[in-house]
Amino acid sequence: MSNRPVNHARAAEHFLEDAPHLKFHDERLWDMRQKRDAQMHMLPEWQELREEASRIKEHTLAQLPEYLEQFEENAKKNGIHVHWARDGAEHNRIVGDILKAHGARSLIKSKSMVTEECDMRPYLEKQGVTVTETDLGERIQQLDDQLPSHIVVPAVHKLTSDVAKIFAKDYHTDPNIRDPHLLAEAQRQAARPVILHADAGMTGGNFVVAETGTFVVCTNEGNADLSATVPNLHIATIGIERLVPRMADLGVFIRLLSRSALGSPITQYTTHFRGPQDGGEMHVVLVDNGRSHRLGMDDFWTSLKCIRCGACMNTCPVYRRSGGLSYGAVYSGPIGAIIDPTFNERKYSTLPFASTLNGSCTNVCPVKIDIHEQLYKWRRVLVQHREIPFVKREIMYMAGKLMGQPKMYRAALRATETSLESLPRFALYNWLNPWGKHRELPHPIKQTFHDWYKKNRATPAATAPESGK
Amino acid sequence: MSARDTILQALRANRPTPQNHPLPPVATLGDLDASRERFITNLKILGGDVLEPVEGETLDQAILRRHPDAKVICSNVPEAKGTLPVERIKTPQDAATVDVAVVRAAFGIAEMGSIFLSEAQLPINSFAHLAQHIVVLLSTGELTANMHTTYQTRPEFKSARYGVLMSGPSATADIQGVLIRGAQGVRSLSVWFT
Repeated sequence: MSNRPVNHARAAEHFLEDAPHLKFHDERLWDMRQKRDAQMHMLPEWQELREEASRIKEHTLAQLPEYLEQFEENAKKNGIHVHWARDGAEHNRIVGDILKAHGARSLIKSKSMVTEECDMRPYLEKQGVTVTETDLGERIQQLDDQLPSHIVVPAVHKLTSDVAKIFAKDYHTDPNIRDPHLLAEAQRQAARPVILHADAGMTGGNFVVAETGTFVVCTNEGNADLSATVPNLHIATIGIERLVPRMADLGVFIRLLSRSALGSPITQYTTHFRGPQDGGEMHVVLVDNGRSHRLGMDDFWTSLKCIRCGACMNTCPVYRRSGGLSYGAVYSGPIGAIIDPTFNERKYSTLPFASTLNGSCTNVCPVKIDIHEQLYKWRRVLVQHREIPFVKREIMYMAGKLMGQPKMYRAALRATETSLESLPRFALYNWLNPWGKHRELPHPIKQTFHDWYKKNRATPAATAPESGK
Repeated sequence: MSARDTILQALRANRPTPQNHPLPPVATLGDLDASRERFITNLKILGGDVLEPVEGETLDQAILRRHPDAKVICSNVPEAKGTLPVERIKTPQDAATVDVAVVRAAFGIAEMGSIFLSEAQLPINSFAHLAQHIVVLLSTGELTANMHTTYQTRPEFKSARYGVLMSGPSATADIQGVLIRGAQGVRSLSVWFT
């Protein structure tokens, strides 16, 4: 895998050039945000729910080893096989071995961000296993050989015409279909025989209950329940941070999840797995893949509270106008920008800069992760680790020096005003000024606030802070 | 060292101080109305519907009225006969031939319009998902107010190996944001109160 920093800005530029896609993407995500707001306003206890969710998650993370052991003990008692994977490669090996032991050649699966993290599909396909995504959006992305662009709505960057083109190739439907109902029906008809003949099924897990050894899967299409109940072998891949201590804690999280994600009160299916069905076998693979390391990062460990609702993505002006794929990572949007650098600091060094720091992500987060503050802290870390480009680093360094010295700052301001007035465009807008690429520099002003204050308000004693030195 | 021990050891070394993060007491928040009216309102929001009995009509007749084209109706409740004896559903795949599955929910949730099914209510778990439509019997006496009361009071969560809360039929909005009821699971969900 390439270690080169993702060029988010260039990918976003590309995204911005396509007006119809951009417009739909922006409006669709904002509509999800507004539906979320409507749900929030219906519940006077909303802020209390967020606070509860945050406290339960922080507690669980601080006691994670104990709760994981408790979950394992209870799950085993109920007949679930529990596996542990340090990283993606180990996870893929475990899943591959389970399938091999059953002679399973076809796997149907519902959406799981962890399997994306582990890059599982290509691994299994090399072993001769056919993997079929059964979630409609995820299937579209699989057929188009793209990562999901959003953690809840994986194909949100596509229009009906794009899907029609993809389905025409693989499902032999009419490429000119413009009715989403017909395309969804095509997916249902194509998926049914695959589901009925699959050797094994796979799901993720939204929540894991230590007290009962249960894992919970929240979906809308019914595909996770089909994947888990039709084949007699069910494998669930779950990140170790998904735990909650008590069954009763689910009340808080289920009330928040879909309201935050899509603005619907609950997902159509909320499924609780506590053991294999009659005649079946059930495996849970608990995946670390960097999470235990992240737990030790003082500034960033609370990102592990995330319940993957995507609310931060829907509200983010940068995400809405750049698209999930521009982040070049499994996780995109604000939450992706604080998680991805923990996987690879160099490769994802540009992502914490893909934000206006407006704080909207933090405001909508159902588990109160201080996302925009972590974005800011990542910038600091990346500068310290020299993971930001030369021009940006030098500009920041100069700006820091300048702003630390009021006299120099004022002199520079006056010089800037003069140059804004007099310099030709090519001198102001060039590679040394990436900020000016899509933005106009401010109009020059005749008088700075400082000059005005000195003239109109200042008493001799308080003229300027440096006068007392 | 095993993967398990490596992970647990790293978590122990890296975790924040547990004493600083006590477990909050169990919360019961929000509206505690467990009425049938509230259930119905929310069931409809999620795309489900109520099968209202017409006077003198049996449940079998009501199901045929709702699903006139159904050829295979399979009932797992004594209140309806259906057309296919439920004993014929032996493997998970057998349920794929069913047009309308008839089951009884263990309980319903007023806040969400959700109904609960587990292996105790199903001949086979896939029955609720491979069937094209589902008709769910629900006793008004088995309604609980919201998600807090659900998880605190319903014993099924500690006994069922498979337990699903279905809130209306399957749905998707994955293609250009258009909401489509009837994605991969049941195309419709109707509740018949008893």
